[in-house]
Amino acid sequence: MARTDRRPPKRRQNLLAAQGIDTVDWKDDALLRKFVSDRGKIRSRRVTGLTPKQQRQVAVAIKNAREMALLPYPGRTASR
Amino acid sequence: MVYMRHYEVMVILDPSLDERTVAPSLDTFLNVIRTTGGNVEKVEVWGKRRLSFEIKKNTEGIYAVLDLTSEADAVKELDRQLSLNESVLRTKVMRREGSRA
Repeated sequence: MARTDRRPPKRRQNLLAAQGIDTVDWKDDALLRKFVSDRGKIRSRRVTGLTPKQQRQVAVAIKNAREMALLPYPGRTASR
Repeated sequence: MVYMRHYEVMVILDPSLDERTVAPSLDTFLNVIRTTGGNVEKVEVWGKRRLSFEIKKNTEGIYAVLDLTSEADAVKELDRQLSLNESVLRTKVMRREGSRA
């Protein structure tokens, strides 16, 4: 019976961006940090629970924020 | 009439500058925009912030965001002049989509 549902346990199904935000601002690094792992990697859609459109928007915003040193690039040392 | 667009320019400045002089000195750069018929809507100085990684050996930078309506060539010239300045660590020009945000 345990075989039928082998879905991974945690899936942050709440659309964080859907809480009042429809356009993601690349300058809002506090928001974007929620979609980045502590190593600086962008969290996958499976984890964030975003729609494809939102995920793309967030990913582009994160990359822009990285260029301006608002967010770190992923790397071996996650200096915090 | 040349086509005007909304632009957002982010500038990271050398942290050794005096924060009070940032706004006036940025303003002199903005003359390029004004003389070509553009409009400076907002100059926002965020102040000193920690950089996520070092830029030219600096761990901090003074951030400023400029909101403009301007023609493309004027913004290009502004960006060029800014990046020639040694106290400017980095710049980024973004088009703001449509009229929102």
